[in-house]
Amino acid sequence: MNTRHLPLLLAGLFVLLVGFLIGCAAPSPTAPAATVPLATAPAVAATTAPTTAPATAAASSGTAAATSPASAKVSEVKIGVIYPLTGGSAQAGLDARAGVELAVDILNGKYPNIDLPMAKPGGFLGGAKVTAVYADSQASPQVGQSDAQRLVTSDKVVALYGAYNSNVTKTASDVAERSGIPFVNGESSSPDLTTRGYQWFFRTSPTDNDFSKAMFDMIDAMNKQQNANIKTVGILAENTDFGTNSAKAEQAEAKRIGVTVVDTVQYTANTTSLTAEIQKLKADNPDVLLPSSYGSDTILTLKTMKDLNWVPKMILAQDAGYVDSTFITTVGKDAEGIASRAAFNLDIVKVKPLAKEVDDLYKTRTGKDLTDIPARAFTGFMTLADAINRAGSTDPAAIRKALIATNIPADQTIMPWKGIKFDNAGQNTMGQAIIIQVQNGQYVTVYPFEFKGANIVFPLVPWSQRK
Amino acid sequence: MTRDFLPVSRQLSKLSWPSLMIGLVALVLLLLPFVFSNPVLLDLMVLIFVYAGLAQAWNILGGYAGQISLGNAVFFGVGAYTSTALIRDAQIVPWIGGLAGSFLAVILALIIGYPVFRLRGHYFAIATLAIGEIAVAVASDINLIGGASGLTIPFVRDASGRPTDSWLWLQFNQDRLPYYFIAFILMVFCVLVTILLDRTKPGFYLRAIKDDQDAARSLGVHVLRYKQLAFALSAALTALIGTFYAQYILFIDPPSTMGLNLSVLISLIAILGGVGTIWGPIIGAAVLIPLGEVTRAEFGGAGAIELMIYGGLVVLISVVQPSGLMGLGQRIRHRRAPLTEPEARAAAASSSQEKPHATLD
Repeated sequence: MNTRHLPLLLAGLFVLLVGFLIGCAAPSPTAPAATVPLATAPAVAATTAPTTAPATAAASSGTAAATSPASAKVSEVKIGVIYPLTGGSAQAGLDARAGVELAVDILNGKYPNIDLPMAKPGGFLGGAKVTAVYADSQASPQVGQSDAQRLVTSDKVVALYGAYNSNVTKTASDVAERSGIPFVNGESSSPDLTTRGYQWFFRTSPTDNDFSKAMFDMIDAMNKQQNANIKTVGILAENTDFGTNSAKAEQAEAKRIGVTVVDTVQYTANTTSLTAEIQKLKADNPDVLLPSSYGSDTILTLKTMKDLNWVPKMILAQDAGYVDSTFITTVGKDAEGIASRAAFNLDIVKVKPLAKEVDDLYKTRTGKDLTDIPARAFTGFMTLADAINRAGSTDPAAIRKALIATNIPADQTIMPWKGIKFDNAGQNTMGQAIIIQVQNGQYVTVYPFEFKGANIVFPLVPWSQRK
Repeated sequence: MTRDFLPVSRQLSKLSWPSLMIGLVALVLLLLPFVFSNPVLLDLMVLIFVYAGLAQAWNILGGYAGQISLGNAVFFGVGAYTSTALIRDAQIVPWIGGLAGSFLAVILALIIGYPVFRLRGHYFAIATLAIGEIAVAVASDINLIGGASGLTIPFVRDASGRPTDSWLWLQFNQDRLPYYFIAFILMVFCVLVTILLDRTKPGFYLRAIKDDQDAARSLGVHVLRYKQLAFALSAALTALIGTFYAQYILFIDPPSTMGLNLSVLISLIAILGGVGTIWGPIIGAAVLIPLGEVTRAEFGGAGAIELMIYGGLVVLISVVQPSGLMGLGQRIRHRRAPLTEPEARAAAASSSQEKPHATLD
């Protein structure tokens, strides 16, 4: 090291400074707001740093509450929305965002004809404007947490919403829990999320446990009511969070209704061959195959089953690859008769008029029918809006109180649920999963029976006899 | 080797200017959070420190010893998982967990290094890549450490159930300033280790190995031993930062702590900043991390634009200045002032990415 390196260091310093400036530039609009707690701090308690921190936090939320009592009119409600808009789960994130965008426009009075009280002009918080601030998590837990922090601090959102991927929802909701603002989730299904004892976390969607429960409830019902005589199941699951947890839940459920799990075969996601796995399943020949697979693995599973000429009495999947928008068109007649759990299916529009109205709007906006993810995103966001509306203010504590008191009846949601009501852990207890089956190239709901669009077709037709 | 034997006083006088600058930067960094108390800025700075530290640790192995590792995230994961598992299953504070993780990482590095250092060049990189992927697969299958679902570190809560701060458990849920200083100290520690290595014999041996392994061996350098030393140092530092990361995010899972993405990002930061230099990795992190955050904050809602801009800038820097930003600084200076002959020779030697310090040739 000698003076020759001086310019390098100067360059380094410059780069660091540029870094700071860029870093400061993004949140600069909030700089004055950020100083408010500091200004009030001495007035509240002129003590040292460790004790002032909670005191100022309390002071700032106190002022927020003081400036927005029910009497004062709230002009804008900002909600931070985190989704994976790039990366592996980008399509799901973009679909979910389309659902939220529709909800925002409905709340802002763009579609007053829809049959929801909040859709009328002035129906939401006395005509307050809803603004969703979107952030891209890139499906990364760390990025999701940074996003949440930025939304809370710089954008001053009153609540957070998202984040599709269960692991991102975990870290992003940490920020909400720390900051003391509500976090509502509409699409993450990992059961862990509502076993953490969080006070600010609410989930409208059913969990993986509920999904597996519905699958086995149906098997049980088929055995009891239709003499289906299903005694054994085989589990085929990929090895990420999704497949591992699904397999675990299925094993527990099988035990509950008394069917035997003859195989639990886990494979590496995005594999290039499933021959050994399918051969093992074929040898044990379970009555029902329970696959948990994403897109390409799903196609490979069916292709390998055809090659080995094995078909069980029923294929009952944990959605994912089996409900991809391209699944039926890709595998054609081989899809016929395959069943999957789901949270939503379009034939709900025949049962629920509201679902039809929302689907029509969604279709004119995006050119596509509602599917599971946008429907769940829409529902969760409307649930949050409903709570803010009832709270009558943007005070986080008031919104939380309203969320706890949520009681949305079945006809006010577009989902096949009995309604929305949260338990102590923040989990919706009225949600439930449905089972859908491919019949004549379309998904139809076959279970629970009150929402069914058709009777279940059982057993599967062998590959060679399909036309 | 000559400057290694300069009298201490002369070394000091030569160092005075850069030292002053470094001191100034350090001072700015220490005062920064008191001037801007914005949590978003603090979060960004913590990430810069974390990635600068990781890139610096990678630099010891990849820059000095010339062993391109694409599996360094494994040690990050070992650090993160060890401390987290100890917190959850044995109620052991992360201060001890971090040291235990570091220790485990060193053992693992030595075990991996023994066979893998027999490979050279690209084959070493491929082997480390495979080890990284194996680690993700194995960690995803071990239910004891949460498997594919990962592990959550529970909040430390006060009497009213609000997440609170604790030095003992290394959680700062309300006043997040300590995270900033701990991350800063970790980065400084990585730099100090590198400076020490840069100035002492092992550092020269490592550069000799990088330049020509066979020549180094013929001169009596124990190649495997020093490669192992670099690997162990790199692993220990990476694991320490891994523990910090777990405490900062409070959630870890195999893809985010051991995945290929992280390994590649670490090496990208070091390479972009300038490999085999003390300050390169830090400059790399100071540029790349804010770049990623700003493009995401500005264009994040719009889809893939952020990544296109980010990727485009990375490509631009690589094309314009393949020897990293450290090399760019040198080039600018040399263009400005005509060089004396020895200076030109030194510049020629150090601007070539392969041989920044061809001292032993």
